[in-house]
Amino acid sequence: MNKLMSRRTALRGLGVSVSLPWLEAMGPLTAWAGEATKNPAPNRMCFLYVPNGKNMADWTPKAEGANFDLPAILEPLKAHREELLVLTGLTADKARAHGDGGGDHARALGAFLTGCQPKKTDGVDIRAGISVDQIAAARLADKVRLPSLEVGGEHGAMAGNCDSGYSCVYSSTMSWRSATQPLPKEVNPKVIFERLFATKPDAERAKQDAKRKSVLDFVREDSKDLEKTLGANDKRKLDEYFSAVRDVELRIERAEKMPPVKTPDYKQPTSIPASYEEHVKLQYDLIALAFQSDVTRVATFVLANEGSNKTYPMVGVNEAHHELSHHDNNPAKKAKIRDINKFHTSMLAHFLAKLKSVKEGDGTLLDHCMIAYGSGNSDGNAHNHDDLPILVAGKGCGTLKTGRHVRFAKETPLANLWVSLLDRMDLKVDSVGDSTGALSGI
Amino acid sequence: MPNRILPPIVLLLALGLLGSSEPRAAAEPAYAPDGLAFLKKHCLACHSGEKAKADLRLDTFPDEASLLKDRKTWTRVLDVLKAGEMPPDSKPKPAVAELDGFTKLVQSAFEKHDKSAKPDPGRVTMRRLNRNEYNHTIRDLVGIDFNPAEDFPSDDVGYGFDNNGDVLTLPPVLLERYLAAAETIMAQAITPIPPKPPVRGVGTQFTEPAGPNVPMKNHHRVVSFNPKGTPVETGPIFTRFNNLPREGEYRAQTTVYIETTGTKPVKVAILAGCAADAKGQATDAEADAIAGAAVKALRPFVIVKTVEVQARVEAKGDVIRVDIPPDIGLDKLAVALMKPDAGEPAPTLYVRYISLEGPMDSRPASHRKLLATTTNTPAEKTREVVERFASKAYRRPVTKDELDRLLKLADARLAAGDSWDAAMQFTFTAVLVSPKFLFRVETPVADATGSYAIDEHQLASRLSYFLWASMPDDELFALAAKKRLTANLEPQVKRMLASPKAASLVDHFVMQWLQLQPLRNARPDPTKFPNFNDPLRAAMVQETRLFFHEIIRENRSILNVLDADFTYLNGPLARHYGITDTAGNFHGQDPKRKKPGGQPFKEDVFSRVDLKDTPRGGVLTHASVLTVTSNPGRTSPVKRGKWVLEQMLGTPPPPPPPNVPELEKDGQPVNAGSLRQQLENHRKNPACANCHAKMDGLGFALENFNAVGAFRTKDGEFAIDATGELPGGVKFTGPAELKKALLAKKDLFAKCLTEKMMIYALGRGLDWYDRRTVDAITAALAKNDHRFATLVTELVTSDPFRLRRGKSP
Repeated sequence: MNKLMSRRTALRGLGVSVSLPWLEAMGPLTAWAGEATKNPAPNRMCFLYVPNGKNMADWTPKAEGANFDLPAILEPLKAHREELLVLTGLTADKARAHGDGGGDHARALGAFLTGCQPKKTDGVDIRAGISVDQIAAARLADKVRLPSLEVGGEHGAMAGNCDSGYSCVYSSTMSWRSATQPLPKEVNPKVIFERLFATKPDAERAKQDAKRKSVLDFVREDSKDLEKTLGANDKRKLDEYFSAVRDVELRIERAEKMPPVKTPDYKQPTSIPASYEEHVKLQYDLIALAFQSDVTRVATFVLANEGSNKTYPMVGVNEAHHELSHHDNNPAKKAKIRDINKFHTSMLAHFLAKLKSVKEGDGTLLDHCMIAYGSGNSDGNAHNHDDLPILVAGKGCGTLKTGRHVRFAKETPLANLWVSLLDRMDLKVDSVGDSTGALSGI
Repeated sequence: MPNRILPPIVLLLALGLLGSSEPRAAAEPAYAPDGLAFLKKHCLACHSGEKAKADLRLDTFPDEASLLKDRKTWTRVLDVLKAGEMPPDSKPKPAVAELDGFTKLVQSAFEKHDKSAKPDPGRVTMRRLNRNEYNHTIRDLVGIDFNPAEDFPSDDVGYGFDNNGDVLTLPPVLLERYLAAAETIMAQAITPIPPKPPVRGVGTQFTEPAGPNVPMKNHHRVVSFNPKGTPVETGPIFTRFNNLPREGEYRAQTTVYIETTGTKPVKVAILAGCAADAKGQATDAEADAIAGAAVKALRPFVIVKTVEVQARVEAKGDVIRVDIPPDIGLDKLAVALMKPDAGEPAPTLYVRYISLEGPMDSRPASHRKLLATTTNTPAEKTREVVERFASKAYRRPVTKDELDRLLKLADARLAAGDSWDAAMQFTFTAVLVSPKFLFRVETPVADATGSYAIDEHQLASRLSYFLWASMPDDELFALAAKKRLTANLEPQVKRMLASPKAASLVDHFVMQWLQLQPLRNARPDPTKFPNFNDPLRAAMVQETRLFFHEIIRENRSILNVLDADFTYLNGPLARHYGITDTAGNFHGQDPKRKKPGGQPFKEDVFSRVDLKDTPRGGVLTHASVLTVTSNPGRTSPVKRGKWVLEQMLGTPPPPPPPNVPELEKDGQPVNAGSLRQQLENHRKNPACANCHAKMDGLGFALENFNAVGAFRTKDGEFAIDATGELPGGVKFTGPAELKKALLAKKDLFAKCLTEKMMIYALGRGLDWYDRRTVDAITAALAKNDHRFATLVTELVTSDPFRLRRGKSP
């Protein structure tokens, strides 16, 4: 990763050269990287989700304030203690049943970034709310090439019911473009890389973009007759199509206007690694690269779907995660859950270390990030949605007072945190979902 | 059964039969007032008025008519009552009989309405092609099979299937993929700048007949004329070509010169070794005119050309070029001397090389097919080719306006300097991104009220995507064009089920119905199940696949799913099952009951196995199902029971209530004892027993199959106790009796499979108005030995499949 700052910016292994002005500049990938410049680095936000709750006894520090301890699950993050804000007591009220019966996993993920009650349906009329990352993405759309990046560690549902009458969309989707449009996660690192970085010479890319524009103009013109004849439900589907077309057209326009992106000196991934640990690290690396080269400033990563039954043999857990999380207070099961939680925080430590290793302005990339990490379920057995395990890492361009454990009053909405993070991106909103205001004390 | 209510009804009926004209007593329960009384007693305290709890008002339903207006609420109310979640624990609970009675009153209100309601075929939301459908459609439309949808995000699942119109969305990232895929597909399908035809050349020292001392002179092979000479010396010399595409034009070339003392012309012959059925083969007389001891061995061949060779010196050899006749199955090229006239001196032939060029048309087959034209004027060529492709892609004849727009697009590319092939390639790319290709559009008939039949082309698409997960083929298009498809549904179903494309029905419908997709990622604990590996996993899936292929191919009864006397196994899976040969003999069987005629298993090939008199048979004993319904470290009778209830009987248990307390016995957590003992508390605690009594019993009967589907008589140190009991007193021990108990519920199974297949075929969830179709299909199945083709035929001829609800009147 240090090679990104190296003199050699030619791309190896891609057989392609990037447009000359940047090559000749031989500098870092963005205007503000390198020595302190007049342009301060912008803030980035990243939302990381781990499923099935946590062993709260091993997560929540006993002490509050700056002298907080690091219980077992937080222990892998000790090198980054000063960049952490451990937040205790936040609640996702809209993940509760409120008369809808079972489905805490679907609701936990669906309400996490939206603060809205996901509608209980197996198919028709899927609905949650717009998620905080997409609120930001929409507002930043003209500043970056890619409004947001949705990354996953596990494919979407593969069959059948996922949670008690909720369509599988809910338990595998965290980002919602609108209340009715879930955004899929990209699990394949190869595809993510191709999406982020030019893998063709710019001239060829420009030709391809021109042809694509022509195709999109054509389909838009050609679909007008369809629009007139369809019924309401079908029209909604066609509208999705049209807004997707518009999105791609905008991306092409932006690509034409913005300076070309330097593809970093990084071996292009070719597939999904067989080992989950490698896969997760690779996805984290790609998010770091995306931030570093300012291709995007908003990213989400669902490490495994809610209700995931992954096993974690790398830490000696051969049982399925979700099964284990229904621990019935069995101490052996709780220990295994703690080990799984610890694995995930050690992966987080890898990510934070990566971000810290990139120099930006007069600090590091991590200084200009706000990384939110947590889960919409607190204890996996009780399926409670208050006292959620949440932490934020990164200094947020100096807007976050890190290195503390802060406890909030009961029932403080998690969405208040989202409002505050948006504020720190200079994207003030009145509310997000069920928020009651900004979150003070961070 | 509400016993309190029954006897009065019986009494009344009896009176009725005796011809009594007594008016019906008010003893028969009705929603008003008996249902209302229940509501008042148990619900209205919280669920009425402005501040009704959970915003649910139950005081606004004074009669049956009002119930019918809010089906959704009442479905939920009944679900929640059934699960025991309401009334909440803090309030007195109604007796079971009282609750049942109320439930029945509400349900009968709906049933009465549904039975007499106007038939409603429903309406499905416009469905986008999912990944599998996209791949198969491209294969059939363009002729390329390379999984272009590999990078597409996974499709979301609704009602258990990934082809649900409402659930499938089209996010921007997917549109980008569609663009990229369309470009890649057309780049592979059409090569505007085709590569040069391949040339294969052979230096003559490598030609046959081969030997240690092939006569050579200065890079030329020497062919002598000598009636008594060896094949190596006298030729004809030849070279072989393997696996040349038969349809293709080829050209051969060679350079030769002759040495002779005579003055008369000397001729050589170029021979093309051919297939036995080739036209124009050399006759015996013709072959006799050719010199060389190897002539006989070369046959059959075609004499391509006989040429008089002028060259007499090496420096100025004759270059001979010939066109090989088409479609002969070319496999050899030979050069031979023609026999000189009698009296002439023996000539000697020197051959430098033999080379073959071709196939001359190096455009891929897909290119030739897509751009085949019958005219030559550019405008007409374009029109013909674009109209054909777009009509196939949109799955219906393209309209004049659509065609004009496409032609404009093509003309713009031609004007920009593209070659004709490249312009067509671009235009086709645009077609592949059109919503008319990506979605299965069923444009409603304008202003239709009531229900109307979808048009024949839309029906053809529904049929082909149901049975093949792909676009209609030429025969279906032809029938639709002639408006003869509806009349021919039954024979078409038969034809389509017999096609290899029907494998899609197994790979997509069956796999999702049986919820076997998670098997891909299953990770049984390697310390407990060391023999589980990827080849075994693949074999498990293949067993279930081949099993269903037979059911479809042989039109067997669907009841085979519950219990069958056959399966398909390969070596590893047979060993896993402990089955020793294809007669189904197994380790540990009674030697007196050994069946004759069994063959050993091959490692990589699946063989059919006779399972009569064995513990296995039917999907409940397939390792695939058994593994996917287990935990990584142990079996889960609860999961297996749930699976049977949901996927086989269509009576899913309600979801578990939140905050399930820990399993306890005498205040201590239960972690010891056999699995059965640990789960015993499910049945002891009345709050849990309601649902678990049904589930666990089914799962226990399968305990002889461990978490990866192998047979066992012990679970660790505990002997397996495979008895189960269903509410109602039905007892069974082991899989055989369980299967018998399930077969006794064959109507329930038929209904379940019908419903699931309808959801898949229609691409929408079912609603109350589909009930009569389900009932009709189940009745037809019962009359027809429950055969598979009957299920499919009844489904595609039913109203929901062929009709569509118009605007509400």
